Amino acid sequence: MRKTTTYVLLGMALLVGAWASFELLGPKTPIPRYASASIGGDFQLSSVDGERKLSDFKGEVVLIYFGFISCPDVCPTSLAVMRQAIDQLSEEQREKVRGLFISVDPERDTVDELNAYTQYFSDRIIGVTGSTEEIDSVVKQYGAYYKFVQLDDSALGYTVDHSARIYLIDPEGQLADILAHDVNPNELHSKIMAYL
Amino acid sequence: MKYLATALLISASLAQAADMSFDEVRVRAVPPGANISAVFMNVKNNTSTDLAIISVDSSVADSVELHNNSTEDGKMKMRRIDQIKLNANSEIKLKPGGLHIMLIGLKRPLVEGDKIDLRVNLSDATSQSLEVPVVTIRPTMNKMTH
Repeated sequence: MRKTTTYVLLGMALLVGAWASFELLGPKTPIPRYASASIGGDFQLSSVDGERKLSDFKGEVVLIYFGFISCPDVCPTSLAVMRQAIDQLSEEQREKVRGLFISVDPERDTVDELNAYTQYFSDRIIGVTGSTEEIDSVVKQYGAYYKFVQLDDSALGYTVDHSARIYLIDPEGQLADILAHDVNPNELHSKIMAYL
Repeated sequence: MKYLATALLISASLAQAADMSFDEVRVRAVPPGANISAVFMNVKNNTSTDLAIISVDSSVADSVELHNNSTEDGKMKMRRIDQIKLNANSEIKLKPGGLHIMLIGLKRPLVEGDKIDLRVNLSDATSQSLEVPVVTIRPTMNKMTH
């Protein structure tokens, strides 16, 4: 009898412990797991300076973000976070960091517009895009998401539902971390520093 | 918080409308290529009547709409909404990642230091004119040392 009670209590303690560690330690916003090597990898898209591959930036820490220019709020916030994290680096360190803003809206965003848009935030961030097939392939590779949504009641015409993560790629070209779009710039800076 | 001082000045000039207050009013400076922007503010309804923002006008944009951002399963969604409710004796914050006023089809680029005109139309048929400073929205750094 006593044994049963002990097991029951032990079981309850384990459940409470599991719940507590989930509640206390679990991330507030769920961040996709990328522990397996299935997420990430090289790709090629177009920039104002021609085709760029992720592997062109080997030796640099690369921050990848999927967005679009007519994104009024979330994308500028993420790019401002990147700018603030990059601005905290020394001149020498900055040369080893690259932001890649991947537009999922090639219909509206040209490479010239993307260049002007990303330069506004930082000269270390470049804008790239491609055909729908090319974009879809990279989106799938990185477990990202986007969907065009018709907005009949708005002058916007359509909007894009999208995942908003900052993917941190180490100098070897491997996915090292995935951060929320509104991560604290100091935290992003520390994460970059860890791979420099 | 440069815009705070400006917003305070503006609200001071609107002191007669003590039953409604509009604080920290600011519009996001626009990166090149983007012809849309968002206006944020804190609106306080000090009256005992439930009100709502039903529309907004500005001379700088072709259309001005009320929008809301929401996150579902890590997916960001933005949708137009009909009104922003201002319940009696309560405050609502229009801020990045949430409710905002969208300027669509900007007639000129919005550069930090500029000001734009805005008229907020309320459900009780009154409206509030605001002069809104253009600011570069910087993410909060919190108080973290590194």
